[in-house]
Amino acid sequence: MQGNNNGERGQHWEAQLRKGCLEMAILSSLWSGRLYGLEILRCLADKSHLEVAEGTVYPILARLKAEGLLQSEWVEAEAGHPRKYYWLTASGRRRAQEMAKAWNNFSASLAILVEPVLRGK
Amino acid sequence: MTNLTPTRNKQIESYLAGLDGALKGMLPKERDEILREIRTHILDSLPNNPEAGVETVLRGLGAPERLAEQYQTEFLLTQAGHSFSPWLLLSTAWRWAHTGVRGIAVFMLAMVGYVAALGFLATALLKPFFPNRIGLWVGHGNLVFGATGPGPGVHEVLGSSYIPVTMLLAFGTAVGTTHALRWLIRTRRRPAH
Repeated sequence: MQGNNNGERGQHWEAQLRKGCLEMAILSSLWSGRLYGLEILRCLADKSHLEVAEGTVYPILARLKAEGLLQSEWVEAEAGHPRKYYWLTASGRRRAQEMAKAWNNFSASLAILVEPVLRGK
Repeated sequence: MTNLTPTRNKQIESYLAGLDGALKGMLPKERDEILREIRTHILDSLPNNPEAGVETVLRGLGAPERLAEQYQTEFLLTQAGHSFSPWLLLSTAWRWAHTGVRGIAVFMLAMVGYVAALGFLATALLKPFFPNRIGLWVGHGNLVFGATGPGPGVHEVLGSSYIPVTMLLAFGTAVGTTHALRWLIRTRRRPAH
């Protein structure tokens, strides 16, 4: 029973951690160019194993756009319907870099701390 | 173009109608933009899930009410971070309170701040009508703002300064709460440095 509780807490913590990184992950996915919603979702799943619910990503994209971090445009596609492409604004690129640096420093510091835990000593 | 059977099409239209209804309160332009993008997402997802079908795609998006709630929360947070409207800040804090402990703490702070400001304002407005009952009362080691009245060992200390002092306190508390809420909302999404 105790083992199950610990397992559930661990999964909950991991889910929260992934959720907390989502904004940085979305901005980073757009670093190399413009993508539409479904491409962003696939990029997150393929490159970072962030299996995010579709319903979570679209509202965040709308907010990032409202904050001036993203710009968007409807583009006619071969699929027969237009797609809404997003790209980073100058401000979005700055924010993505700030987040990436903060994340890098944070993960490097924690890596030192958890290293003995990983070695099991 | 994705070929849709009437049944599939009906499912999609029903979902989008539900989402449209749940997005009430948002501007028509914003609603149209959201509906258009979600429709595109559904159509783009279908060819890759021929065996799974519409149900799986719609399940991935979540219930229309839940999806609309997420949009409204994100829009409110964006607006509130740049607003001075106590009503907007309070509604945003209330919505935030539904998402976790930090949101609950922020909503409590908002309530305490604005209720205190209203309390100060109310006593300042009532002071001319109840000059001997309302004041800053000191006695028996206590300090009480508002309606208490004199008693053995209890006396009022502000006198004629009561109204300007409480008006100033009401204003300061409201402004302080507003700025604190704006800051908390704006920094909600920023990474820790």
